[in-house]
This record gives sequence, structure tokens and C-alpha cells, in this order.
Amino acid sequence: MGPLIVNDIITQNTNFFLAFIIGIGFGFVLESSGFSSSRKLAGMFYGYDTVVLKVFFTAAIVAMLGMLFMSLFDWIDLDMVYINPTYLWSTIIGGVIMGAGFIIGGFCPGTSFCAASIGKIDAMFFIAGMFLGVMIFAEVYPFLEDFYKGSFRGTPTLSQALGLKDGIVVLGIIFTALGMFWVGEWAEKKFHREEY
Amino acid sequence: MNMSELKKPKQKTRYINPYLGGVLLGLVLLAANFISGRGLGASGAAKSVIVATVNTVTPGHAENTLFYNEYNESHPEGPLKAWLVFQMLGVIVGAFISGAVFNRLKFKVEHSPKITSKRRIIFAIIGGILFGFGSQLGRGCTSGSALSGMAVMSLGGFISMAFIFGTAFALAWFFRKNWI
Amino acid sequence: MKPRLYLALFLIPLGLILAAVPADTTHPYKLSPQDLLEHVNSGMQYFSPDEVAHMIVSKDPSLLLVDVRSEDDYEKYHLPGAINIPLSSLLEEQWKDYINQDLRYNVFYSNSTVNANQAWMLSRQLGYQNNYVLQGGLNYWVETIMNPEKPASTSPNEEIAKYDFRKGAGQALGGGAVVETNSSQAAPALPKIAPRPKKKRVQGGC
Repeated sequence: MGPLIVNDIITQNTNFFLAFIIGIGFGFVLESSGFSSSRKLAGMFYGYDTVVLKVFFTAAIVAMLGMLFMSLFDWIDLDMVYINPTYLWSTIIGGVIMGAGFIIGGFCPGTSFCAASIGKIDAMFFIAGMFLGVMIFAEVYPFLEDFYKGSFRGTPTLSQALGLKDGIVVLGIIFTALGMFWVGEWAEKKFHREEY
Repeated sequence: MNMSELKKPKQKTRYINPYLGGVLLGLVLLAANFISGRGLGASGAAKSVIVATVNTVTPGHAENTLFYNEYNESHPEGPLKAWLVFQMLGVIVGAFISGAVFNRLKFKVEHSPKITSKRRIIFAIIGGILFGFGSQLGRGCTSGSALSGMAVMSLGGFISMAFIFGTAFALAWFFRKNWI
Repeated sequence: MKPRLYLALFLIPLGLILAAVPADTTHPYKLSPQDLLEHVNSGMQYFSPDEVAHMIVSKDPSLLLVDVRSEDDYEKYHLPGAINIPLSSLLEEQWKDYINQDLRYNVFYSNSTVNANQAWMLSRQLGYQNNYVLQGGLNYWVETIMNPEKPASTSPNEEIAKYDFRKGAGQALGGGAVVETNSSQAAPALPKIAPRPKKKRVQGGC
């Protein structure tokens, strides 16, 4: 049955329209959870506000559970779902650069669009910077191409890498996340800051 | 007494409970995977916009540059006819609706009282450049690679998440003045 | 109660259920890269009897039928032009040039699909391309090509055209006569002849 687009249940144009609807949901949830505030986002790294941790991991786990249950009931063919490929070193270095951008700029791409949409001027400058960053990458891409396309590891899942069942890995992630949430709520009390 | 309390600006901005937000976001992500077989994203839309702009403004440059060339070859329908572009338009609309509902629509530069607006904006631009560059190198940002990758249990998604947040934690001390 | 506890009460039972479900009921997330590539290139590993019959009748040079049953079974009956590579000797050096090549479609067959599929899996694990399996095996072949069932006259035209083709092919390939197959394997449940799916995994990512 699912994914609908792969099985030709919906057309490409319907898919684009639904992408727009999904985007509305995405944007609404991000904004109403407070992701339009760089103060709340950066709070994660100082412990005074761990909303990022909570939303991020809860969402990932809910989606993960949903996918596996849908697969269990044969509602979705997971073979046809896009799995992000693993290019080891470019992912690591890219992640490090993005982490630096996160703590310096206070946004990530998705949240910056949300924040700009409700009038945060700093977010608009962040977006401008992001466009510039993509263009810089485009210019230096020939030098980075080998690195970018190197160390390809296929599209393994965490459960395959660990050699465990999907369900066991998900359960482990759930317990890890709940533990982190507990630490997060403790940190919010300990490192409390006034809003500005 | 009562009056002065009423006039005091509200300290607590109202946001929905983060766990509720997480469950809702998870359902949106699940819907994206069920309908379109792919996760959410953000930086990919930025790339599409850049490619479209360069294609229009300096088509010669686009032809001579490997990056744009590869992108255009793999997207014969044009860079803007992409799933992420439509999704991102939705994000802008959705965030605006939420801002209107919760009364948060306002032009402002949000910054710690300890720093100036100018400093905040300069740092925002630097952060944006790094994020733009890193998201291309790492094949996706926090939403596209880390969140969506984790939802399908991709090893790459977990690596991406670990290094984005790990680096931000590691560097937090150096930039503390900006935030606390 | 705290929201976190609600969340825990919601997530942990679901997680426990998934952890308790046997692994093979949750479908594997993906094939290995080679598998994936091959699937994308070939659609699937099956050739339907109709496709094979068509290729035999038109003497398509790109087809090589490989009988993976024992030598005795092969002597008793085999499809026209088939060579015999018993499954037990599949990995012998002498057959390597047959199963590791990029000129033809090798179509493995056995009485059912079990042994043919094993041969296909083995060759695929070795990274060999262009190996396929006859859908439903010989048993199904006999049923569809040699003794096709006449469709009801109300059937759609495609069904009737298929029947006519099968009847013609069956006669050309020496049908009509009762063909002996190993009856120790019960008649297989009819596999669906699905058109080869052309669907591809979605391209995603940022």
C-alpha cells in the first residue's frame, strides 16, 4: 500500500500538493513548540531549555514506531522508503560544521524558515548566510568531490550495524531517550534562565 | 497592585508541551514517509533555490560548474519542481499560522540583553554560512539527515545527529556570552 | 502526572511489542547495495513462463535455460535448449563461465522454485549478474504452457490472447503429451504472474 507515490496511488502533482500540506504541519508544529526562537534552540546546549531534545527524539521515536508497525501490518513497504545513505567521513565533517553553525547562528535550516516567517530578523540573515554557504560549497565542490563521494558505506540501518533486531534497537532508543528527557528536565531546573 | 501585575509583560511565552509537539512532529514525519516514501527536509530546498537562481542569473556559470551541472542533470524537471521546495513553502505557511494563532507575529531581532542586535546578526550570518556549507557536505541538515534519518533508523542519520549536537555542545562554552 | 511519564507509558509498551515480535515479520528494511542495484536493474528475479515460452519460440539468443535438478531428472525431461547444472555442483569451476557472464539471461528452473531460487541466491551472493528464476518452476510451466486452461468465453480479450499464445507455444514445444514431473513435490500454489514492477525507491534527502 504505502508509500503511496511509489505504488502509483497518487500522482506526482498530488504528491507535491501533499508535500505542501505536510510542510504546513511541519512548520506549525515547529513554531508552536518554540523552534522559532533561537534562545530556546540554543538553550539545549546550556541546559536551560531542552525543548529541542524532547521534540526531536519524541518525533524520531514516534515515526520509527509508526513505520515498523505499518510494516508489520503490511501497510508500507519499507524497501521503498528512502534510507539516507551513509558516507562516513563527509557526514562526520558535515555534522561538525553544522554543529558549529548551530551554536553560532542559533538556528538550523528548518527552524530558521519558521522563525523568519513570524518576523525574526536574525533568522532572515541566517537564511541569507545559508544561501551563501550553499553557493560557497558549489564553488569549492570540485575540490571536495572525492571526499564528498568517498567512504560510502551503503545504506545500513542502525540495527544492521549493531546486528540486532529493529524492535530491540527501537526499545533501546526509547529508554535512552526517556533517560535523556529526565536529565533534561533536571537541567532545566538547575540551569534556569529568565526569558528575554 | 493588580494593575501593575497586569501591565507587566508576560514572562512565559506560551508554547505547546514539547512531548506533545514531538508526537505531532513524529506523525507528520510518518505521514511524509507513508505518502511520499521520504522524510522531511529543509536545506535541500535552499539548494534548489540557489540552483534555480544561478541557472537564471548566470546560466553560463551553471554550465561550467560541476555542482550545478550534476544537480541539473539529476533534476531534468528543473530545480524548483522538487518535493522539498513545496514542503518548505508549506513550512513557511504553517509557521505563520502558528505565529498568528499564538500571537507571536512581530518583527524583531531576538538576542540576549548582553549583546547588541548587530552582533547577533553577524553571528547569525556566520552560523548560516556554516550550516549551508555543512548541510551540503553532510547531505542534509538536522531535519533532512538527522531527524528523518533517525526515523528510518539510518546509520548515517544517527552519525549526523551525534556530530551536529556533539559539536554544538563542545563549542557551547566559547559562545556562551551570546546566549546566557 | 508529568507529561514525561505519560509519554513513557505510551512509548514503552509499543517498543516492547516491537521488540517481542519475531524479526522476520517486520520486513527487512532494505537489500544490500548489490541486491538493490540488481533489483533496480532487473525489476525482479522472476521470468514468467509466458516470457520464457516466448523467448524459446522466437529462439531468442539471449536466453539460457539452466536446469538445476539432478542429472536423472534432466535426462527424463528438460525444457528445449536447457543445460543441466545440478544445484550441488553449481559452484564448480566448470560452470563459472556459464553463471558469471553478462551476455545472456540465465533462467534457473527446478520442479518448484525452491532449488532454482537457491541457485539464484548463491549466484547473487557471489555478485554474478543476469541470473533469473523461472516463476513457479516446471510444475507451473506444465500447468500454464503445456496444458493451459481455457478461459471462459466471457474473459477479457487479454486472457484469451494469452491462452491462444500458450496453446500455440505448448504445441510448438511438444506439449499436449503428459509431461512427467516429480510429483513428490505437491502442486504449488499458483504464484501470481505479476508484471515486473518498475517502481523505484524514492529519492530523498536534503
